[in-house]
Amino acid sequence: MIKIDNIIKTYTTGKINLTALKGVSLSVKPGEFVTIMGPSGCGKSTLMNVLGCLDKMSSGKYVLNGKDISGLVDNDLAEIRCREIGFVFQSFNLLPRMSILENVELPMVYAGVPKKERREKALEALRRVDLADRVKHRPNEISGGQKQRVAIARAIVNNPSVILADEPTGNLDTKVTKEIMKIIQQLNNDGATVLLVTHEPEVAQYSKRIIHMRDGEIIDDNEVIDRIVF
Amino acid sequence: MNLFENIKMAIDSIISNKMRSFLTMLGIIIGISSVIAIVSLGEGGQNTITGEFEKIGVATIKITVKTAEAEKSDFITYKDVGQIKDKISYVKYATPYTYKQGTANSERKSKSAMFVGCNEDMYYIDNIELLYGRFFNNIEFEEGRAVVVIDETAAKSFFGTIDVVGNTINIGPTTSTKKATIVGVLKSQFGMFEGMVDDDMPAFIYVPGTYLDILYSTQSQISEMYIMADSKDNAEAAGILAKNMLMNRHGNRDRDLYKAESLMKQLDQINTVVGIFTAFIAAVAAISLLVGGVGVMNIMLVSVTERTREIGIRKAIGAKTSNIMFQFLTESVIISCIGGIIGLILGVSGAYLLGRLAGITPSVSPQIIIISIGFASAVGIFFGIYPAKKAAKLDPIEALRYE
Repeated sequence: MIKIDNIIKTYTTGKINLTALKGVSLSVKPGEFVTIMGPSGCGKSTLMNVLGCLDKMSSGKYVLNGKDISGLVDNDLAEIRCREIGFVFQSFNLLPRMSILENVELPMVYAGVPKKERREKALEALRRVDLADRVKHRPNEISGGQKQRVAIARAIVNNPSVILADEPTGNLDTKVTKEIMKIIQQLNNDGATVLLVTHEPEVAQYSKRIIHMRDGEIIDDNEVIDRIVF
Repeated sequence: MNLFENIKMAIDSIISNKMRSFLTMLGIIIGISSVIAIVSLGEGGQNTITGEFEKIGVATIKITVKTAEAEKSDFITYKDVGQIKDKISYVKYATPYTYKQGTANSERKSKSAMFVGCNEDMYYIDNIELLYGRFFNNIEFEEGRAVVVIDETAAKSFFGTIDVVGNTINIGPTTSTKKATIVGVLKSQFGMFEGMVDDDMPAFIYVPGTYLDILYSTQSQISEMYIMADSKDNAEAAGILAKNMLMNRHGNRDRDLYKAESLMKQLDQINTVVGIFTAFIAAVAAISLLVGGVGVMNIMLVSVTERTREIGIRKAIGAKTSNIMFQFLTESVIISCIGGIIGLILGVSGAYLLGRLAGITPSVSPQIIIISIGFASAVGIFFGIYPAKKAAKLDPIEALRYE
């Protein structure tokens, strides 16, 4: 499902070349739940961005669901982000001027889903994250945990094959972290492939596989032992 | 993602930034409203002028003698006028026209006066509307009787009332005025300028041309006459025939001394001048539209910067470059269009308000409405493209990182 081969990503700032990914290869099968860990600057966020089609790699090969992503243009990448990938960010990234329902509907707006169907699907997604009652509120009227649930609802609403979560619990306390991880685990149980970046070892314990990165390379890749299952 | 969706999103965004949106629109509002007000008033003014001319009659021809080249014998005589009227079948009315300045006084008031010497046909040619009495008749003209027709403004200042038929006033050159009887009072001639007339304006008085000659002890050296054709279509021909007759009667065919001008032509000239004037002011007003457009661009650029993160989020969840571009473009077009519509409303009401003060009925043509709204949207598109492109080109990752 996800197969990357020898991906190199180089940033050029002025005269300095910074290689964030130094030939990363990775394969993720459908239904997997992978955590990527590593110190700051190890390239894990860059890897997420490349996998999420937000960033283009400098060289290497990326095949998603059997489709070669490597040479695609911006518009095609947007299409893939829209239909195949769901993003969950550390800082939630909800649009403050829209209601929760509208936030969740937005990916479907770009996917060209008719209005009525959009509403139904958005409500369904909000039900899956246990947040069906505050749909008319604005993001600034709900708690951080609730915001992240809205963001998860938004990520899953187009039924993507991959969910990419970049430190989704980084701004949340322990209790809420548990709630969010429970939801993510449930999504994985329901069939979604999940890739998650985190600093917190406890959070990694909810996943099935942990990859450690350092200096733009994968240094180890293991099954999770003593996995926490709700 | 359809158009309707985009428009709704743009309106939401405009509403959530009410004050800023309004200030952005202001330039467009001022531009559109002034263009519409000016053009409507200009066209209304043209219509008013045309209307006044049509009242006088577009079948009217003015015949003048080129006084600089003419000898005494070349001038028009009362007999010429009579012959032109009698012999040329197209000519329905004909009057000589002489003009003298002098004094007119009643017991109550003395003021300067403008005397128009003419015959009884002036009543038809000038399309005179009488309030009281009558115009002087053919016998009074032939005999050179001391009768006058004055207008209501003059009547008011001479007698304090306007029904003054039968009263007498003294008229003539300032040094020697003579008594004349008022036979008629006509409606004020000032029409749309009535409001500007004050008591010090000279009185406007019709006098039989023959009597004006007596008053001023002049021979009938008439340099100007008016004829009215039986129809608009015959006006041109009537003018040429009258000119011919004058040349025959004065035996000066070898010299081109007479000029026939239709009022239609003058009307065209005046309308051209008013048109140019209107266009000029409208062009100046259109510049403010341009400035308004720059304002739209300015605010949209600020808006793009301010919403960088929003753009990043939208891109991350699947917005295409074209979606973002269209979103911002829609916003600027809608801002401009709303500004255009407000400007239209203000412009039309402004035109009616000013028109009321100036006595002009503004003419708001559908074209000007379509053009101005179209122009407003064009401004929105033109000045919206750059900011929209800038927004659409943002790199999603950098946009997401933007604080």
